Amino acid sequence: MKPIQMLAAVASAALLASVSACGSGGSSSTGGSAGGAAGGSTGGSVNIGVSTSLTGSIASFSQSGMQGIQLAVSDLNAGGGILGKKVKVVSADDNLTPATGASNMRSMITNDHVVAMFGPVASSIASAEEQLAAQYKVPIFFHMANDSSLMTKTFTPYAFQIVPNTVMEPRAVADYLAQKIKKGKPITVGTFAPDYSFGHDTVSGFLKALDDLHVNYKVVKQEFPPLAATNIGSYLSALVAAKPDYVFNAQYGGDLDAFTKQAESYGFFKHTTVIGMYGYLDMKALGSQSPAGAIGFDRAPFWAIKNPQMATFVKNYKAKYGDYPSTWATLGYAAVQQWAWGTKKAGSFDGTKLTKVLPGTTPPTILGKLQIRACDHQTETPEYVGTISKTGNSKYNGVHLFDDPMFKAPFDQIALTCAQVKALQP
Amino acid sequence: MSTYGHLDTDAHDVDPPGPDTRSARPAPASRTVLLRRATAPVALTAVMFLLAFTLGSTTLVTMQEVLAFAVFATATNLLLGQAGLVSFGQAVFFGIGSYTVALGWLHWQLPFWATFVLAPFVGALVAIPIGLVALRARKLYFALSTLAFSELAYQLAESRYNFTKGANGVFGPFVPTALTQPRTGYLFLLAVTVVSLLLLWKVNHSPFGLVLRAIRENRERVQALGVNVYLHQVAAFVISGAFCALAGAMFVIYSQSGYPELLDWTTSGWPVFMAVIGGMGTFLGPALGALIYQFGHDQLVLYFSDWQLVLGAVLLVIVMFWPDGLMGALARLGGVIRRWWKGRR
Amino acid sequence: MDLSAFVTQSIGALSTASSLFIVAAGLTLVFGALRLINIAHGSFYMYGALAATTVVGWFPDSGFWIALIVGPLVALVMGVGVEMGVLRRLYGREHLTQLLATFALLLIFADLALRFWGKNVRSINPPKVVNGNFGLVGARVPAYDMVIIAAAIVVGGGLWLLLTHTTLGWKIRAVVDDPEVLVCSGVNIRMLYTGVFGLGALLAGLAGVVIAPQQAVGPGMDAQIIVAAFIVAVIGGLGSITGAAIGSLIIGIAETLGANLAPSWASTFIYLLMIVVLAVRPWGLLGTPER
Repeated sequence: MKPIQMLAAVASAALLASVSACGSGGSSSTGGSAGGAAGGSTGGSVNIGVSTSLTGSIASFSQSGMQGIQLAVSDLNAGGGILGKKVKVVSADDNLTPATGASNMRSMITNDHVVAMFGPVASSIASAEEQLAAQYKVPIFFHMANDSSLMTKTFTPYAFQIVPNTVMEPRAVADYLAQKIKKGKPITVGTFAPDYSFGHDTVSGFLKALDDLHVNYKVVKQEFPPLAATNIGSYLSALVAAKPDYVFNAQYGGDLDAFTKQAESYGFFKHTTVIGMYGYLDMKALGSQSPAGAIGFDRAPFWAIKNPQMATFVKNYKAKYGDYPSTWATLGYAAVQQWAWGTKKAGSFDGTKLTKVLPGTTPPTILGKLQIRACDHQTETPEYVGTISKTGNSKYNGVHLFDDPMFKAPFDQIALTCAQVKALQP
Repeated sequence: MSTYGHLDTDAHDVDPPGPDTRSARPAPASRTVLLRRATAPVALTAVMFLLAFTLGSTTLVTMQEVLAFAVFATATNLLLGQAGLVSFGQAVFFGIGSYTVALGWLHWQLPFWATFVLAPFVGALVAIPIGLVALRARKLYFALSTLAFSELAYQLAESRYNFTKGANGVFGPFVPTALTQPRTGYLFLLAVTVVSLLLLWKVNHSPFGLVLRAIRENRERVQALGVNVYLHQVAAFVISGAFCALAGAMFVIYSQSGYPELLDWTTSGWPVFMAVIGGMGTFLGPALGALIYQFGHDQLVLYFSDWQLVLGAVLLVIVMFWPDGLMGALARLGGVIRRWWKGRR
Repeated sequence: MDLSAFVTQSIGALSTASSLFIVAAGLTLVFGALRLINIAHGSFYMYGALAATTVVGWFPDSGFWIALIVGPLVALVMGVGVEMGVLRRLYGREHLTQLLATFALLLIFADLALRFWGKNVRSINPPKVVNGNFGLVGARVPAYDMVIIAAAIVVGGGLWLLLTHTTLGWKIRAVVDDPEVLVCSGVNIRMLYTGVFGLGALLAGLAGVVIAPQQAVGPGMDAQIIVAAFIVAVIGGLGSITGAAIGSLIIGIAETLGANLAPSWASTFIYLLMIVVLAVRPWGLLGTPER
């Protein structure tokens, strides 16, 4: 390289570094004004952080979860804020990569002085952020990522999980199935799940639950198509050809929609009972193609949880966003409620104080009064399982919901016991 | 570069059309020239060293990322700028570097320092078979074949979860506590970066580097001279792979993890973007590109939901109107100023 | 495996291959004439599918048939715009420049699509006439699979007729080998490039519409299809329409076999296959070596 180029490089690098240093200095000073106010006691505002996946195949969930959080925050502020301070949401896209999620979180903590974190969807990102939560002593609430190892193998006191985890969910479904099938009757089972740890974990959890319940089953086909595959035709035709009685599907969102539509075109639902995570958003997307008679499971269906707070939430959500809340929005709202309740109780925004106060209590949320279990910080949220109705519900945009009565799997029946959890925790 | 048929009537030269390309290269190794040549890198290193004590910790953490990417992009540019080989598969080695550290800790409890040193060798070892296969193809087919390797590596990392922990990736306290401090981490990475760039600079300016450029300019003629083009390119691929893997190991200090997306073809795209933004015809261009890309990306991610739009637009403008990148433009500007200065005297 | 299972899976493989073929045919056609790899091909595909969901939203009954025209047209307009606005200025440059320019366009179009259509996954139903299944030697065969297979046959046949039996086709084939001769014989090469690129985009848009009733339509489908289309086009040999047909069949069959024999290896298997083909024939099965 010519000396002149070298010099140009030095000059420009130095220039850029100083500019960026100024830039970040500037932003941290604006962040500082908010954060400084949060740290001090002079009224003003306090920040909470949401780093979630706003691009890519799961963007629609994250978006809807974010809306739940934003509504919760605006409701909080309408009620006078918390400890005399208004709450602000700082958000960023983690681009579905753990390093970006971690870097978002670091910058939110150091620049924006957030006092709590919400939002990761993928368990890989969640586990990266969980470590940072412990490192910086900032609590993190998982309302979407439901990997059970977050609360067992990698547990830290700064993490809270409100969403039913990967142990509870398949167990709830197995319970429902065992109720439906005559004892000892042999059935054939197929599984269909995205080819990554969530898919494999959920499927093996489901089969293990069937074993525990002494269901007489035989696995005839297991397919693991890639996550968000453009074309699942080959995997599906292999499954169809195996003609199982029941299919446990661990896909979600767009993948589940695509599966349902293509399976429908085979007439697959006529002879096979499909079990899948059919939530409000999925049924709405599927419309009249919703698979009547299939078994759906949902983590927090707004229409099944009946209490006045939920009714108000649904009304406000609809007024603000023009649609009914998804499971993700509902859980996001409830997670903020838990944080706010704990913070009030602790009388401080300090993360460590919150972790001392919150576990073992029963914060009132739109989900009802659910305990945050002390041993693993898992909220005792039930899982809802039901059979998808033949007719659309005229009250909710003609969306097909679950038939009555549905099964509200009680937490104690489906979750690991505290002794089991303790054995797995570090 | 020679391409096909009519389309290359005004083929673009990778070296910036600076006014004094010839005069500087075969400079006599007299003491003054050597001194003058050493001034700039030493000054640059000094500036970067001082930054460790002036920047805030958030910026320092971002600078850690920048340093890892600077090595990644410069190593990729050995293929891109020197050998004229467009690889969309360098993430394979970057990811392998990260995974060497992470999996070494996970499965065999290897200490960080051991795996950090091991990483470039593992990268080189994996680069040999990949290079031997991919370099059988030319140009676009080479690019697509490296892309396939990138996707293959990604799929393997994602589906072999017993070994790699699948999509979750490997997280753990495998980075020594001292290096997790923003300043010490930065200083360590700076040292590694300076050494790596000096080595890569050596490669670029060795007879080997000259042969690579000659192959890029006229493959047939070099072949006719009895040079084994294939083996030279494989060697370049292996060297690049080793340094990409080192960059991956450096990245671990920032990310403290190894995960499949590091191997994906879009990750392979990063160093190419950086090289193009900074200028792939110059040695330090890719490193400058890494700096701009990373700070640009970090700021955009925080304040724009449409950061891809901005990135795409910037990339498009550079590719269309500024093909020699920022360094090329700076060099041109420098040339203009110098001529103006000479004219005045 | 009994006969009905065999039929189910064969038709599944064929329909997978068909949808891949329509996308890959456009990609390979553009490469054949213009010698450039268009990463934004995935964007045209996604916009075709998104346009279809909008049209069906407006006209729930006849929407799909209207979308079959509107979707490809949207892609065509985009393609012509991209060719005239961007690529035309880059023909003399290296591969890398064109590759990066189209990659930049993919990023831009992806974010613009989010602006227009939002982040939610969208979905449409197949038209009533083909929204069911019929029996064939004991297996249920989705009627819509037949639509996809038919579309692929029409596209393949149409391209074959165009390229071998029309003067336009002769020009398209000649432009790679001997552009000077074409210019001398009074052919407007610029128009020809725009036309071929537009046709490629149109095919991508058509594939988007055809696939929409079977798949979830939403963000991310652009980047996914482009990798799949690359694999097909590269295995078959870039520039060869017949190669694209063979490539898509190979992938369809390989995926089905993988799904049956080793499900968790199936996705890895595809890339391995591509690498093996490139190792043995670096220019693909029916491609020609680059000079």
